[in-house]
Amino acid sequence: MTSKLYHLGSCSVVALAIVGSVPAMAGGTLAGSTVTNTASVTYQVGGVAQTPPTPATNVFTVDRKVNLTVAESGAATTTVVPGQSGAVTTFTLQNTSNAVLDFALSATQTVGGVAAHGGTDTFDVTAPSVFRDTNGNGTYEAGTDTAVTFIDELAIDASVTLFVVANVPLGLATGAVAEVNLVATGREGGTAASQGAALTETAGANTAGMDTVFADAAGVTDAARDASHSDDDDYTVSTATLTLSKTATVISDPVNGATNPKLIPGAVVEYCIAVANAAGGASATSVAVSDVVPAQVTFTAGSILINGTTTGVTCNTDGVAGGSFAAGTVSGTLASVAAGASRTLVFRATVN
Amino acid sequence: MIRTFSALFTAMMIASPALAQSANAVSLNSDVMVERTTTDADGRSQVTLEEPRVVVPGDHLVFVLRYRNNGAQPAGAFVVTNPLPAAVAFQGTTDTSASFSVDGGRNWGTISSLEINNSDGSKRPARAEDVTHIRWAFAQPIPAGQAGRLMFRGIVR
Repeated sequence: MTSKLYHLGSCSVVALAIVGSVPAMAGGTLAGSTVTNTASVTYQVGGVAQTPPTPATNVFTVDRKVNLTVAESGAATTTVVPGQSGAVTTFTLQNTSNAVLDFALSATQTVGGVAAHGGTDTFDVTAPSVFRDTNGNGTYEAGTDTAVTFIDELAIDASVTLFVVANVPLGLATGAVAEVNLVATGREGGTAASQGAALTETAGANTAGMDTVFADAAGVTDAARDASHSDDDDYTVSTATLTLSKTATVISDPVNGATNPKLIPGAVVEYCIAVANAAGGASATSVAVSDVVPAQVTFTAGSILINGTTTGVTCNTDGVAGGSFAAGTVSGTLASVAAGASRTLVFRATVN
Repeated sequence: MIRTFSALFTAMMIASPALAQSANAVSLNSDVMVERTTTDADGRSQVTLEEPRVVVPGDHLVFVLRYRNNGAQPAGAFVVTNPLPAAVAFQGTTDTSASFSVDGGRNWGTISSLEINNSDGSKRPARAEDVTHIRWAFAQPIPAGQAGRLMFRGIVR
């Protein structure tokens, strides 16, 4: 042996450590591509260049590696209120195969168990359906983004944003959780505007042509190497829990004035209706309050104050003028009652 | 379908018409195998070389070039050149005498001595996966009847 070249048999173990560190690549060389390696040699005999032999070649075909990922976007639950329609969770589907494929989509509901972002799945949303982010802006827009049952001809390494849109039933308490799963399954590509046939992994002996190999990882609800991948996302209810209280305070009477007034005819009484929203939920907005004034008192015109506050259970009588009085009923609308806060409607009347 | 190196056929190139016309019979064969690592129940990993039947992106390939001087005279200035297929990322050769090109065969050297032009005009050191050509230039003539192997590794892009 005149060269210093190593023989293959003595070096393969060393080289393994080198190639083992190469990261996996997404997508990659198009399935069905042929890869031809060509080597050539030049040499001399007696110092004279000789006609080189025919270059040596070999050919192999790159097979189809089916791989995909479905991932929930945002890493946060979707906060919903009872009765909400069109509640959206967001997912991303990426085709990491080396072939253009269709992907069948299916949104399913979890029954019980720990949800994607904590809490326990306690209810099901209604009518979950999958929408494609047609305009690619990452935000669901009803009427623009289209409902889909499959993704057509997704290119190698291409991603698409998907929305699971569902309705939330009424009568749910703050903290209730509904989990949904989105499963995507690779299908044969090649025919635009129609879902391709199911993929089949090449079984048994290898063929010299293009084989199909499933290379996907296990998802939340699917196994590894099944041409499917899945992830979960959840809806968490945040609602307002309102409690109402009403107090009456004597402000003055015609005899004692404002000093220790008594409820005699002609006395002025201040009524306070307090709306408290429990902590930990959502703000309540447009809270309409109405109160029928008792027949034994006469409403004091212009005395209504709304959006006042309380200190403990005591009304602060600090609202602003508003509300209305009609047909013996005081009414007013509180713009917003935040979680953990109270707002009041206050008015005065005179004892008949 | 595991192919061993001893089973490689050697007579094909010798019988080719082009070679028959040349005064000297130097032959060169190229072969590729897929390297697979399997782990048995005891956790021992085993590396096998298979025919490239199922090949998907990310697979490890071993290319083997076999040369033979079938002539009666030593073959000098013996240079083997292998352009890399575009779909293969070079992963190294254990032979330290090989030289490389990252620009389609214009400049040659060790990988660390070569540079790649970035799109903004700056340069960066070349990496193994930038290699476009491999060349082995033998310092000594190949004696008559002598044969040998060259090998390198790649990964399917």
